[in-house]
Amino acid sequence: MRALRLACLAGLAAIALAFPHLVNAYWLTVGILAMFYAIIAASWTLLVGYAGQFSFGHMAFVSLGAYAAALLVQWLALPVPIGMLVGALLAMVVGAGVGFVCLRIRGPYLAIFTMAFSEVLRIVFLTENEITGGASGLNVAPLFTSRSNAPYYYVALGLLVVSLAVMAAMVHSRWGLFFRAIRENEQAAAAAGVKVVRFRILVFAVASGFAGLAGAFYGPFIGILTPDIGSVDQMGLVVAMAVIGGSESLVAAVIGALSVEALVEALRAYGQWRLVLFGLLLLLTMRFARNGLLALAWEQVRRLTPASWRTPHAREAAE
Amino acid sequence: MAEYLLIQSLNGLVIGVIYAVIAAGLTIIFSILKIVNFAHGEIYMMGGYFGYFVISMLGIPPIPAIFVAMALAFLLSVALERALLTPLYSPTTERKSDYGILVTFGISIFLRNIAIILFGPFPLRPPSFFSGALVVGDFVMTWDRVFAAGAGVALLGLLVLFLGRTSWGQALNAVSQSRESAAIVGINDRLAYTMAFGLGGAFAGAAGALVGPIYALTPSMGLQPDTQAFAIVVLGGMGSVGGSIIAGILIGVSESLFIALFPDPSRGLSYAQAFSLLVLMVVLLVRPTGLFGRTHTAME
Repeated sequence: MRALRLACLAGLAAIALAFPHLVNAYWLTVGILAMFYAIIAASWTLLVGYAGQFSFGHMAFVSLGAYAAALLVQWLALPVPIGMLVGALLAMVVGAGVGFVCLRIRGPYLAIFTMAFSEVLRIVFLTENEITGGASGLNVAPLFTSRSNAPYYYVALGLLVVSLAVMAAMVHSRWGLFFRAIRENEQAAAAAGVKVVRFRILVFAVASGFAGLAGAFYGPFIGILTPDIGSVDQMGLVVAMAVIGGSESLVAAVIGALSVEALVEALRAYGQWRLVLFGLLLLLTMRFARNGLLALAWEQVRRLTPASWRTPHAREAAE
Repeated sequence: MAEYLLIQSLNGLVIGVIYAVIAAGLTIIFSILKIVNFAHGEIYMMGGYFGYFVISMLGIPPIPAIFVAMALAFLLSVALERALLTPLYSPTTERKSDYGILVTFGISIFLRNIAIILFGPFPLRPPSFFSGALVVGDFVMTWDRVFAAGAGVALLGLLVLFLGRTSWGQALNAVSQSRESAAIVGINDRLAYTMAFGLGGAFAGAAGALVGPIYALTPSMGLQPDTQAFAIVVLGGMGSVGGSIIAGILIGVSESLFIALFPDPSRGLSYAQAFSLLVLMVVLLVRPTGLFGRTHTAME
């Protein structure tokens, strides 16, 4: 089983590395965007699925990271990578701040607060058009000047792998248990010795930092930023990605993001129907398979494999 | 200047009444189902379109069309509740509050986008209730606004009477305080949930039908009232109908004054949307239970 898993991982890595040579420029761009969304969906999952801190303001940190990075490069003539890093750090600090001021609120109140925060930020970016370019957009200096998008692809892949590795290390350590304890019952967690305040701020900071990093990458890649990146509809798309894949696992959220973004492009001919479809999929997933479609599929695969293939541990878990 | 501020306050009063109608629906749903309905603004939008199509396709006059729109919004809400919200009442569902947030958020995405397909992205404007305007000296207000405010006040009055004076209203109140105790005295709690979600939707739909002739209808018109209704419900205290009526009018008036007093007019208009959101954030941080908050805020 272990060998099989390693072989699967190696295969995936090979495909991921060879991807720019296998597809045309159009699908390469789609792949890069899919990884941008994957980072966002995974960090939203860390915040919501693991730590139970319901946020509809995650896209605000994406746009904050993106605008901060772009404006810093423009004003201070910083190198683009430094600007990206500072943008991500700024999103992290603001995320920690939001986590701090929200310590007293939870559940739907937190969802409302973060949604309001996100809309206020979007309105500010839209209104202060002398600085941000408003609705007509802000031009962003590119990261690479090559004609192919392959360098962007490898940067996106690297960012995705690094952010997944950091978040996976967090959730598989004791911290992951603390996060889940806070999600299930904050008072009980506090009574059991979990430093609730510290970990709530921490998870907000980390998730927002990665969201900001994704945004800081998005700006130089696309070349133009509009306040729409922080809109409720974009948030809806990310929520749909994470929930359809499975919002209680980082990997499932990433796979959800990759497949939904691929579907968004493959079904381009259907225009607006796509968002209807994702809304419907989100509803059906929540209603009938709350752990996400990936967990559902995994369950079916497990049921079909003969018992002798399974390790004793897996057999126990299945029973 | 004083006169201008007075006119702005009166305009704000009209909007405030409409906000109050939307928020009253949201607060009924919250007090009984214990969920925040993130799709409330979309039901409001659907109510507006129901009104429009009832008038343009069935030829029903604008004023009766409000009631038809309310009834259709009620039916839509009941269908959504039956199809999607029943896990909230099951003891085996984990983290019901999260379920409620995500499902209603999903409904809002679904309705907003299907509205773009069904009704088109372009603004539609239903015919006026009464043409012309009320003119008193320098003060001008279209009859549509006057009518919307009057109808809103009447609806709110009816709602308060219904909740306070009828056995139905008392049954809803009982379920909002304790589902189990209500069931013990013979109240059908499942029916109460359905009625509450439907009633909340009907009020959102009525507000949509009332504002149709004032602002045009667009598929995304629900986004702003949604956050505004949150602001009102949180300010008034989650679950308090009286509180949301007062808070709705308060927010409507202060928002109009904010626009009037903001030094840069074009920015003022843009930031007016942010105004209620800031109020919302401050209230959540300073006094999460609102001005007239009540307890019993989690599904048992």
